[in-house]
Amino acid sequence: MEYIGEHLFPGQLGHFLVVLSFVAALLSGATYFLATQRRNTASFEGWRNLGRFSFLVHGLATLGIIGTLFFILTQKYYEYQYAWANVSDDLPFQYTFSAFWKEQQGSFLLWSFWHIALGLVLMLRAGKWETPVLAVVALAEAIIASMILGLYFGDFRLGASPFDLLRQTMDAPIFAQADYLAQIKGNGLNPLLQNYWMTIHPPTLFLGFASTIVPFAYAMAGLWLREHKDWLKPALPWALFSGAILGTGILMGGAWAYEALSFGGYWAWDPVENTSLVPWITLVAGIHTNLIARNTGYSIRSTYGFYLITFILILYSTYLTRSGILGDTSAHAFTEMGLGFQLILFIGLFSVLAGWLWASRFRQVPSIEKEEAGASREFWMFIGALVLFFSAVLITGATSLPVWNKIVQLFNPDYVGAALKDPVEHHNRYQLWIAVFLGLLTGAAQWLRYNERNEKIWAKTFIRHFVIAVAGAAVLTALNALWLNIHAWQYFAMLFAAMFTVVSNLDYIIFFVKGNLKQAGSALSHIGLGILLLGILGTGLNKEWISSNAFAMDGLIEGMGNEEMNQNILLLKDAPMPMRGNFEATYLEDTIVRQTRTFSVRFKKRDDQGNFTGEEFVLHPNVMYDRQFTKVVASNPSTKHYLTRDIFTHVSSLPKAELDQEFARQQEDSLRFEPYEALVGDTIFAKKHYLVVDGYSKTPEHPEYKAQQGDLAFGLKLRAYSLDDTLGYPANPMLYIRPGEGGFTLPANVGQLQMRVRLTEASMGKWLAMEESLDFHQFPMKAGETIDFQGYKIQFAKASREIKHPGYAPLPEDIAVAADLEITAPDGQKFAASPVYLIRNSQPFSLKDELPELGLHFRLENIDPKTETLTIAVARASGEQQTIPLEIAENAPRSDYIVLEAIIFPGINLVWLGSILMLFGLGLSMWRRLMVDKK
Amino acid sequence: MKRSHIIAIGIVAVAIGILISASQDVTTYANFAQAALSGDRVKLVGQLEKDRPIEYNPEKDPNFLSFYLRDDAGAVRQVVLRAGKPQDFERSEQIVLTGAMNGETFEAADMLLKCPSKYKDQEIYVRSEKSEQASK
Repeated sequence: MEYIGEHLFPGQLGHFLVVLSFVAALLSGATYFLATQRRNTASFEGWRNLGRFSFLVHGLATLGIIGTLFFILTQKYYEYQYAWANVSDDLPFQYTFSAFWKEQQGSFLLWSFWHIALGLVLMLRAGKWETPVLAVVALAEAIIASMILGLYFGDFRLGASPFDLLRQTMDAPIFAQADYLAQIKGNGLNPLLQNYWMTIHPPTLFLGFASTIVPFAYAMAGLWLREHKDWLKPALPWALFSGAILGTGILMGGAWAYEALSFGGYWAWDPVENTSLVPWITLVAGIHTNLIARNTGYSIRSTYGFYLITFILILYSTYLTRSGILGDTSAHAFTEMGLGFQLILFIGLFSVLAGWLWASRFRQVPSIEKEEAGASREFWMFIGALVLFFSAVLITGATSLPVWNKIVQLFNPDYVGAALKDPVEHHNRYQLWIAVFLGLLTGAAQWLRYNERNEKIWAKTFIRHFVIAVAGAAVLTALNALWLNIHAWQYFAMLFAAMFTVVSNLDYIIFFVKGNLKQAGSALSHIGLGILLLGILGTGLNKEWISSNAFAMDGLIEGMGNEEMNQNILLLKDAPMPMRGNFEATYLEDTIVRQTRTFSVRFKKRDDQGNFTGEEFVLHPNVMYDRQFTKVVASNPSTKHYLTRDIFTHVSSLPKAELDQEFARQQEDSLRFEPYEALVGDTIFAKKHYLVVDGYSKTPEHPEYKAQQGDLAFGLKLRAYSLDDTLGYPANPMLYIRPGEGGFTLPANVGQLQMRVRLTEASMGKWLAMEESLDFHQFPMKAGETIDFQGYKIQFAKASREIKHPGYAPLPEDIAVAADLEITAPDGQKFAASPVYLIRNSQPFSLKDELPELGLHFRLENIDPKTETLTIAVARASGEQQTIPLEIAENAPRSDYIVLEAIIFPGINLVWLGSILMLFGLGLSMWRRLMVDKK
Repeated sequence: MKRSHIIAIGIVAVAIGILISASQDVTTYANFAQAALSGDRVKLVGQLEKDRPIEYNPEKDPNFLSFYLRDDAGAVRQVVLRAGKPQDFERSEQIVLTGAMNGETFEAADMLLKCPSKYKDQEIYVRSEKSEQASK
């Protein structure tokens, strides 16, 4: 079939570039390999140049793929599955990036992009290490490129192409039509991902992932060339760079989860989080052994090991998040794409290569026979690296349970599989001790020297500073215990260790490097670690759900016992609700913009005596609906930030009628509406309530009504009372007729009385009849003239371009004239009216004005510019007032509430400050290394 | 003995200790019958019974959700979760619970939803006339 309107060229170009990129990367890897093997021969330069050239071709091809895919997304070519699944016509441009790397292919491309950028820097700067290092990078690139190849070998598919056509990936009847493209629209991006975090977090994290290949490749190169010492120096700044960037990426993920998602925290020990943290931990262990190796010659083997395992763990993390194996243990893995087998090959190939090189060269790696001295820095740093490694093993082991299950099930299909009962509790319990050891080691090792042999001389300085640190830490521990809710001694141990490293490293900065911050990278990182641990204690131990009210809900709720579980509170509109923590929350209003519905919730703080302290703020959590406005798809939190704590809120539930339109319709149908008649000034007695009819309006207001020119609108003003209460609630139902669209009725909801009041077709008929029964008399008038109409003197004062008519909303192109009329009643009372004549888009409109007190209606029907004569039409309603039929239901379920979760996070800023300081220290050390190495 | 050997032995000892103690943190996947038999906390995977009542009445208790779940063996039991109802609960195609049986009901402490991904959702939105006008 010949399909209409498809753009096939970008896809063909994309396919070609994907294949080119793959082949060029393979070629580059092979030629760089040959260049390295022949590094001392005459043919070296030729092979190296070929490696460089093909790496550049690979880079350009990959940039071409990225550009082509981006073009398809921005042009909204829905014939491509990738565009159809991830963008839509109404998606703002800035989210095209999010849509780009939301899927596996896009994020592989992002990863590849950073490898290429790093590869180019290495090409320029790595010198003699260029060929072996780039051989490794190019090999990894070839495998990543294969992930998006989309080639079929029989039934086996190698890679998933981002350029597949929608009609090839899906079997739907619509593709039987040649013009299917004109009929489909894009799926759009999940509102949860329409977020600036989704724009900045993935590129940072993937730069972090990508950069771990550099220390890995240097380690491979060192083993390969048997130059076990030379590689240590250039690898260190790269490892520091990688540690800083990967750490930033992980931190951004935590900040995103905390700020914009309803997870209620920054870290949940989710497998996806764990598998990006673990490589960072082993990388940091590698940085420490790298320092030992450079300064003393010890720990070269373990440095190799840590850098090699770091990259393997990155690959393992890629496998876990992309293969679908995490299935029921993670809340946020990628969509599975059948790449599991390829990913296992990726891990397998690199593990075998790295493992074989490491094992086969192990004995040649120089190591010092004599043991490290017990008082030397290298000894305790090495212990610290082991502790880090231990932490990585623990986290990986627990996170890998789904993988064990899979493996066991290969041999025993009946095996049901194991899982952690409570991952958060499990990880916290063990990592707490890791934290204690790290705090103590980073505090103590700073005062030790490399290659310490003379323990006696050094002991004096060490002991002095050790005592300072212990005393300082004890004081700080006592002070912090005042605000922390510590209920177990283990937390005291962690707090003390954290304070110990803070004091000791502060001491180090002041007395040892004498405030020279250039040399204080490591000390700053360790202080950051201590502050981070303090923040973790604060947010973990003192985290408090304030969205709970034992007092107000006592007795109301069946089966409530477990205090901690009471994390949600129901807020009725406009009804202040006392909550835990001396807060009082009031749900004020909600507003809808596009698909987002934002709620305003006011918090007021009371003191212990129950008086308001004046502390008051309004938070705006929101929910996002899908495009059909039938379902809520995301709930976004709103947080009040203080220096010492945050108050985090999000809407955890809404009335079902607000979540689900189908249900709302059913509920609406189940309401029992009874007919009544409304007469202005009169009272309606319903079954359980009475309503006072205050009047009616031609310019009614309703939360769901937006006036448009040409609308005919009518609303009743009522006040509803319960039979046993004197508190009245406004109820203003309305209806309107919009030219070309039809008539609409908007009911009034009085949630407090479970009452719904609506105008019906009968009301509309009655109202139109009232309008039509008016008998207009036309009077051509000039300015200043007066006429007499049934005893009323009507003077046409002037024509005015200043329109004050309440039913008029100005537009720039309008021509509008108002006739200012002054009316004198027979009893001498004076009134004013100004009907309007409007020309909009060459369409004339007449906006009526009326004096309901007199029953008089005025229209400005025509303007004769030549004679400056206006035709004014006047009518008077018959003396008898008309009743308006309406319907009232008194069994409407309340839908004017929200269910809110509110959490206080004390010390959250310590978490951010500590993390940033730690990463800043890594960055500073890298910069310092580069400066020193330059000299 | 060299110090490194002592450390190595120490680490191995700690590792064995942790393995033994951590084994208590691990539970197996189970169905309702197995959960009732063991009485322990288990992981349970199943599908929401969409025809049976889902009870969540925040006016009464915003922290009480009850529904019926069909486990892999086909058994259907009532599940009680003392927390709010997640937004896309009804859409879930698979539910993973952690909890224990209490009489005939399963008391869940934790719930994870698996929602249908866009790929499996073989539904193509057809442009309405209105949106077509808007896009012109």
